[in-house]
Amino acid sequence: MGNFLGHVPQNGIDLWRHPEITPHPEEEPTFDPMLGFPNGRKPRVMIATKDELVSAKIPLQDRDYCAHKLLIYQGCRKDTFPFVVKCAHEKHDFLNCKYDDFVIRMKEYERERRLRVKRQEIIQQRQSQLIEA
Amino acid sequence: MNSLVRTSKASLWLKNLNPTVTSVRNHWNKDFKPGLYPTTEEERVAAAEKYGIHPKEYELYPDDGNGNGDYPKLPDIGADLRDPFYPWDSPELKRNFGETLHENFDYLREDRMDEGKTQFRPLWVLWAQTIGVIGGIGLVYYLTKDIRMIIPVVPPELPKDGKVHYTFEPNN
Repeated sequence: MGNFLGHVPQNGIDLWRHPEITPHPEEEPTFDPMLGFPNGRKPRVMIATKDELVSAKIPLQDRDYCAHKLLIYQGCRKDTFPFVVKCAHEKHDFLNCKYDDFVIRMKEYERERRLRVKRQEIIQQRQSQLIEA
Repeated sequence: MNSLVRTSKASLWLKNLNPTVTSVRNHWNKDFKPGLYPTTEEERVAAAEKYGIHPKEYELYPDDGNGNGDYPKLPDIGADLRDPFYPWDSPELKRNFGETLHENFDYLREDRMDEGKTQFRPLWVLWAQTIGVIGGIGLVYYLTKDIRMIIPVVPPELPKDGKVHYTFEPNN
């Protein structure tokens, strides 16, 4: 996960040559989300309500788990316009939330990929056992 | 005052005094028209003399109804091949006064076609260069078209009914 963009060409080649271990970025995770978490995971909480989002005319693609911070940020902009630089802290808060959201998405992808690698190893082990037997 | 009176009379004004009047009045379309296609040898020699060409070099367009008549068929040589250092009467057209023009003179000028010029390289080399460059780009595209640049993240997690997204914090 460290060198994120540096692995882009290799990811493309993997998606072409090894699609069984490389999830496509447009497909949702396929494994059980609780796999490997014996006590379960904390679910993500949506704080902003749909009525608030509709009232503020937030675009559909922005109605994610950071929408409540976007509402605060846009409200601050509206209140302080044209001195919107006063909203620097609200903006920073919102962008940090988006960053954490992106990290979660990257982790989900990597989790999916590693589980696929593990599944592929198990399949190969079983095949080799069948051939030996 | 005298000159003003003279110019007010049309008969005087239309005399062959003014070069502009002369060129307009004596160069109508009918004056540009070529003569009839020469059938006898005498007509041919006379036509060659009219265009200022030696009878041995006098070639004709075929009498196929295109109306070229006795106009001479001059070699297709573009203006770029004419000597730029010769003191032409009309340097911008590289043309002397009274010189017989090519029938398609309008597209043999310097800013138009380049008839008669030899290619810098043979034609097959030019084709090979073109096909090589375009084909090379196409080949690189064809070989790498399956390598997609992807950002390794799952699709955006938007909350919707019946779908739960999880953080990576374990539940105690």
